[in-house]
Amino acid sequence: MPSWPEQTKYISKSTLRIDAPPKVTGKARYSSDIQADGRLYGMILRSKWPAATISAINLEKALQVPGIKAAITAKDLPQTVRFYGEEIAAVCGTTKQACLDALRAIEVTAQPRPFVVLEDDAKKDDAPQVWDGKSNVSSSPRGSGEQGTVDQAFPECAAVIEGFYTTPVQLHNPMETHGNTVSWTDEGLTAWASTQAISASRDGFAGPLKLDHSQVRVITDFMGGGFGSKLNGSVEGVLAARLSREAKAPVRLMLTRFDEALAVGNRPSSFQKIKIGALADGTLHAFELDNYGTPGISGGDVDLPQPYIYKVPNSRVKQTHVAVNAGASRAFRAPPHPPASYAMESAMDDLAAKLGMDPLEFRLKNDSNEVRQREYKIGAEKIGWKEKYQKPGSSPSVVKTGLGCAGAAWGGGGASRNTQGEAQINPDGSIEFRLGVQDIGTGTKTVIAVVAAEMLGLKPEQITVKVGDTNFPPGPGSGGSTTCASISPTVFDICANALQQLQTQSGIADARGDNWFAACKKLGVTPLLVHGRWQQGDPGRPLSSSPAYGVQFAEVAVDTETGLVTVKKIVAVHDCGLIIDTLTLEGQINGGIIMGMGYALYEERVMDDLSGVVLNPNFETYKLSGIGDVPEIEITLLNMPERGVIGIGEPATIATAGAIANAVANAIGARVFSLPITPAKVLAALGKVPPFVKS
Amino acid sequence: MKAFEYATALSTDSARELVAGHGAYLAGGNDLLGLLKEYLVPGPDILVNIKSLPGLNKIERGAKSWTIGALVTVGEIERDAEIGKVFPGLRDAAMEIASPQIRNVATVGGNLAQHSRCWYFRHRDTVCLKKNGDLCYARNSENRYHSLFTGNDCISPVVSSLATTFAALDATAVVLRDGKETRMSMAELYQKAWKEVTAHNSLNPGDLILKVEIPTARGRSAYLQVSDKHAFDWALVSCAAAAEAAGGKLKSPRVALGSISPVPHQVEAANQFLDGKTLDDATASKAADMILAGATPLEDNGYKVPLAHALIRRTLLKLKGEA
Repeated sequence: MPSWPEQTKYISKSTLRIDAPPKVTGKARYSSDIQADGRLYGMILRSKWPAATISAINLEKALQVPGIKAAITAKDLPQTVRFYGEEIAAVCGTTKQACLDALRAIEVTAQPRPFVVLEDDAKKDDAPQVWDGKSNVSSSPRGSGEQGTVDQAFPECAAVIEGFYTTPVQLHNPMETHGNTVSWTDEGLTAWASTQAISASRDGFAGPLKLDHSQVRVITDFMGGGFGSKLNGSVEGVLAARLSREAKAPVRLMLTRFDEALAVGNRPSSFQKIKIGALADGTLHAFELDNYGTPGISGGDVDLPQPYIYKVPNSRVKQTHVAVNAGASRAFRAPPHPPASYAMESAMDDLAAKLGMDPLEFRLKNDSNEVRQREYKIGAEKIGWKEKYQKPGSSPSVVKTGLGCAGAAWGGGGASRNTQGEAQINPDGSIEFRLGVQDIGTGTKTVIAVVAAEMLGLKPEQITVKVGDTNFPPGPGSGGSTTCASISPTVFDICANALQQLQTQSGIADARGDNWFAACKKLGVTPLLVHGRWQQGDPGRPLSSSPAYGVQFAEVAVDTETGLVTVKKIVAVHDCGLIIDTLTLEGQINGGIIMGMGYALYEERVMDDLSGVVLNPNFETYKLSGIGDVPEIEITLLNMPERGVIGIGEPATIATAGAIANAVANAIGARVFSLPITPAKVLAALGKVPPFVKS
Repeated sequence: MKAFEYATALSTDSARELVAGHGAYLAGGNDLLGLLKEYLVPGPDILVNIKSLPGLNKIERGAKSWTIGALVTVGEIERDAEIGKVFPGLRDAAMEIASPQIRNVATVGGNLAQHSRCWYFRHRDTVCLKKNGDLCYARNSENRYHSLFTGNDCISPVVSSLATTFAALDATAVVLRDGKETRMSMAELYQKAWKEVTAHNSLNPGDLILKVEIPTARGRSAYLQVSDKHAFDWALVSCAAAAEAAGGKLKSPRVALGSISPVPHQVEAANQFLDGKTLDDATASKAADMILAGATPLEDNGYKVPLAHALIRRTLLKLKGEA
């Protein structure tokens, strides 16, 4: 049975991204950079009502705007609009300004309807119904249940705490917005798509447009992030295609930052009422959760895997979905772990404080996972837990320091077992890999080059990598942290097949390394095309597996007079089986931590209950971690080759918010029960904000 | 945005004539272009580029006062070593504004004249009082970033960090109005916003800020702000203070706050209270109490009271620290 080599030259070492030069020089062409002949700009008219019935749309005046080539409605009329920003119509034209003018010229006749955008309002009996004839509130049978005997167990506890921990709706806001350049002619449809899944994107065009899959080609050469919000076909893609068909020209329709806040996904909110208790020796004994949250208008998943990574013998969980008039949620990096981790890890620290236990010891006692046990010990050493940890609130002076930690687990999807790929080996020794996967910015192309170079005895820069084309052998969507674990064994298999065939054809016993070019020369004039697919390998030493764990520690300083939280250091200890490329792996972890920090301290979609609009559809008031906020990040990796390749994208972001929230609570001796932890909330937790008196 | 003509003015007279009632001056453009792109203000027929107006990009360094031209960029203030010595509070305020890229094009005049940042005013689909609507949404909904003081129904605060600092330094804006130079204190430059819902400063259409004169007498100055983030974020509250040095005591001190009122928030009684005092925690705290007396927090902005209190004390004590 095949397994990964024990001695490596490139695997588990650091290789610069093979596409770093085109990225930093601007040569890399993203979906919006495609200069198809005669390309038009496309734009979408969105509902300015959070709920309405649209009875008429007059496109006449829009079509009269100079430069406009087509204008279409998004749906058949009458259209029921259920959230602010829902797509109503679209135009395309020769300039962006023409499109902007045309959008303003579209006449919409709408009957506004009652709406509700806040979770607590939507729960009321007399709340406007987001879906006619259906309650906004639905309990989740799958997310609810009881183990053990909770009501008996709480009185047996030596310490019990209760808390109401809340997390906001978080927006994906990838740097590259959603969108496509689409050309639809009689020959078929080609979409240069900003997608995490070219195959699903293809189906997302073919289905609604009633095309054969074979008539649709999706290309994603370079892609600027998605975080789960670009896993499927899209309304904006279909609108771009229809505009292209109508205007008989390629259409580039990229969303704006404003659009991104409205209609292309988000992480559901959570409102978690937690009660948790432990026995006198610190063993977790009873847990109860009553959680509700909103996935917007969708039936999306708001259930949280509580009590997360801890085993509590007596546990009762009740979860409720609340519909509101807001954009639908989508998968968002490690769904639904970050809100679960934040609340559970906060409750763990609050309970440890009540027990008078060190929260790290409390975790080591209650977390039986051996990998995390190792990781906690390494992390504690790196952050200086023993020397620096103080009881909550005991840091002297106005600016108080604190430490916190939290753990993660990501079962994820492991790997996509249908992943395939091919390589063309040319007589001159050049070799090109083609996989129908996409590199969403995580370094997938580099992973392919590193594995291939290792297996063939070549250098990564000698490997040509082509991905992001539905004409290539099918690959996985990039979701669930499965990409690396899907493609690495696939490339391994392609290489094994390539060597076998090349050695047979050339008569050279070992075609690797120094013999490579001599062996290829013997191919004559006909290149060798080899195929390969994902293999599990030796079950005792698999090529890929799951899950991943990981722990993070945070050190913060909190100004108790201004409420400002400064993260001074994050220590991250992670495992992901066999490390392929250390450099891109560390990049993933850095990104996960910075995103988790935004979740902890800055990010929140703000809905206005009076108008129903998203109030902060921009980076001015939807606040993201900036360079001035990012602390020192120290990463320690456990390389575990015996486990094979495991993805890291998601585990890297799970523990950050919980670790930071706990460090803040440790610093100030008070819990901020709600993310993001803003200066306003810190001052309130410290009891410094005068009570509001309604005048 | 609405189509417009574009012209470059080479003299203030021609700039004024070109704008005359239907145009807008264009300097750094950070604020103006955002307003136009979102159709938040009536679109001008003509944009008059004033970046070539002679003399307005100069800093003149006199013994008794300095003059900073309206076209001097925030980045130039930040990097001017002498400003850092003569007006350290001004340098610190400039450093907190936006990002380096924006500071490199943002001008002093534009910073002073910038419009409200209220998220209802800036939203393309809400018609609030400031946009001639009939409802202040912020008062009734999301007001975490809004004012503790106001003289009208609008609660959007002034956000110009330079205005806050200039107020503490007792600087005077020189404004071209109807062809004549008019001198305005910072209080005067904003007083219309105190009373009038739709105003964000006292400038009339066609008025052009030419320069700001800053007396050098107050040799000590300081500026502090706190934002949700550590950089590239608006102040939740900002505070500037300035005073003369006189044997360990404050002389002619002035304190001003931003982001808590439609005008730079100044309380003359507090300035008088501080005059002649030796600074200590108790004195600074008493001054802060006086400055914040009468604050009327809304549902979400009550935190600004303790935050402002802390910033006033710290800014004042910073004056002492730099003695």
